[in-house]
Amino acid sequence: MKKTSSAFYWMTIPAFILFFVFHTLPALQGIFYSFTDYVGFGDYSFVGFKNFTNLFSDGRALDAYIFTFKFAIVSTILVNILSLLIALGLNSKIKLKNTFRAIYFVPYMLSILVVGYIFNHIFTFIIPEIGRGLGIEILSKNILGNMDLAWIGVVILAVWNSSGFNTLLYLSGLQTVPDELYEVAKIDGAGKWDQFKHITFPLIAPFFTINIVISMRGFLMVFDHIMALTEGGPGRATESITLLIYNGGFMGGEFAYQTANAVIFLLVVLAVSFFQIKVLQKREVSY
Amino acid sequence: MKYLRSIISVLLVVVMVFGLSAVGFAQEVELEFFQNKREAVETFDRLIEKFEKENPDINIEQNHVPDAETVLKSRLTRNNIPDIMGLGGNFTYGQIADAGILENFDDASYLTSTQTAYREMLQDLHEGNSNYGIPFTANANTVLYNKDKFDELGLDIPQTWDEFIETAETIQENDGTPFYLTFKDAWTIMVPWNSLAANLQGENFIQRRKDNEVTFKENYKKVAERIYELLDYGQDDVFGFGYSQGNQAFANGESFMYIQGVWAINPILESNPDLNLGAFALSAVNDAAENMLVSGVDTVLTMNKNTDHPEAAEKFIKFLLEEENAQFYIDQQMTFSSVENVFQEDPTVVDLKEYFETGNIAPFPDHYYPSGMQVPNLIQGFLHEGNVEEFLEELDSEWNKVQSR
Repeated sequence: MKKTSSAFYWMTIPAFILFFVFHTLPALQGIFYSFTDYVGFGDYSFVGFKNFTNLFSDGRALDAYIFTFKFAIVSTILVNILSLLIALGLNSKIKLKNTFRAIYFVPYMLSILVVGYIFNHIFTFIIPEIGRGLGIEILSKNILGNMDLAWIGVVILAVWNSSGFNTLLYLSGLQTVPDELYEVAKIDGAGKWDQFKHITFPLIAPFFTINIVISMRGFLMVFDHIMALTEGGPGRATESITLLIYNGGFMGGEFAYQTANAVIFLLVVLAVSFFQIKVLQKREVSY
Repeated sequence: MKYLRSIISVLLVVVMVFGLSAVGFAQEVELEFFQNKREAVETFDRLIEKFEKENPDINIEQNHVPDAETVLKSRLTRNNIPDIMGLGGNFTYGQIADAGILENFDDASYLTSTQTAYREMLQDLHEGNSNYGIPFTANANTVLYNKDKFDELGLDIPQTWDEFIETAETIQENDGTPFYLTFKDAWTIMVPWNSLAANLQGENFIQRRKDNEVTFKENYKKVAERIYELLDYGQDDVFGFGYSQGNQAFANGESFMYIQGVWAINPILESNPDLNLGAFALSAVNDAAENMLVSGVDTVLTMNKNTDHPEAAEKFIKFLLEEENAQFYIDQQMTFSSVENVFQEDPTVVDLKEYFETGNIAPFPDHYYPSGMQVPNLIQGFLHEGNVEEFLEELDSEWNKVQSR
């Protein structure tokens, strides 16, 4: 057997150490603190599973979970439909193709906090203006101030911001589909829809899987969008898990309790991602 | 040879740079002054400049960040504590004091130059009766009003709750907007809430609530009903606008009154320097003599008990408490001083003076609510839904939940 070159170790070990020190260690520390009554500073003592049992009877945490999943599922679906459509368009032979590609990618490169304040302005002044002009009652007020609609504002910002990245992934997927297959299909008399359904979509299925997993995971962690738009309001209508952990843990002096929440959330996100990969990979095909 | 020469010159430069900086650092004491008020950055800068001129061996670095309390707390978790701090006198201050990382000022000579009422307010925030900070300035929870618009309709400052509502109705009848409400930002709801709660919650409410002698449900009904009543007198879409938009709108004369604390006066005057505005205490009760102004410690000065340079840090705190400097600060910031014999004389806030003279002052109720309850968001939710009973029950159940953690 050939000996592995030491260069490979030199490439992996520094990264491993950095990852361990700055990521794994704090995570383990967090799990440790979730069994204490630590407020973030000063003394603490062990309380066993008290934080976890309290958590399961906390209606506020439950509401945050419901909101987070509602938001993540809706945004994931919208982002994937939208970016697949954009990618299909950008992959065809159109003029100014590269310019369009660049334009669609710009939102992804902007800081969400900065864009959030711009959207805040749009929702506060511009949309109500349009709503009043058209005589649409529901749009004539700031939707971010409406308990039932505020989450839609967050979805709009999230979808607008992240579609560019998913479009890029779909585009690279579309470029792996060989042209010959389309030619054969055309000779067999398949229409555009049939081509998409039987050739394009099955062949980019791995990209579909990765897109769904990445966007779902990203949206479950939603934080800056909400910080910039509503700060969890009105009431607690748009309070996501991460926002609850941040607010309760740092501002509310419930560091240990919210760390327990974070531990549970970590398990939930892992479970969701694992489940998605399992289910989606099953329906991937290879020709 | 050429090679050697360049090495030598590089070495020389290195030696010079390090040598020079070593000389520079040897004499100066570097201190971090962490403070939480964005509005006050410039005022503090000018005071620091003056201090450094008097004390050339001390270098004070002011540090202000947005969301300062949260940042400070996360720094505390890493045991990275600023030398000197200027914080709000609220629940967070109490928590930090309880953590045992602040200097004890009980024996400090300058402690007695501050007003007892504010020192007691600070003591109530933490365990025991020690002083872990020096009250520097005080603020007031008020209703700002447009004096010119009040004159147009011949209105006077309302003295009772009924008069307050009557005034609002008169304004509405004359097609004006009584209040510009900025309830998109949940914290701004706490301004009217604090005035109402301080006057209506009953004596020693927080202590008695802790001992389970009273509940929010029993004592807060009127507070909830009255804050809900305010919604009738706001502009269109009261949940659509936030604090900065409210300041702008009130500055432009879009409403007669604006329920905000004195801290909003400067930002408002910045966007419209010609505005003729005044401030009065929200009349929460119907017996004018009983009404109390809500006033709290706006900035409490304190220091890290394990700082490397305790003398220098103390020197700076003492400097800020000198009458001349305290006066300069409150004149710039339109706040009130907790240093004895230093008074706010600005005509804008002249109507508040009688409260300070008679001592009809109450602390901010929300400084004593556990911050884990997130009361502002609870109230915001209630104002959307309007169910008083349900809301008061929620306050009680959240209180119990946070206490049991």
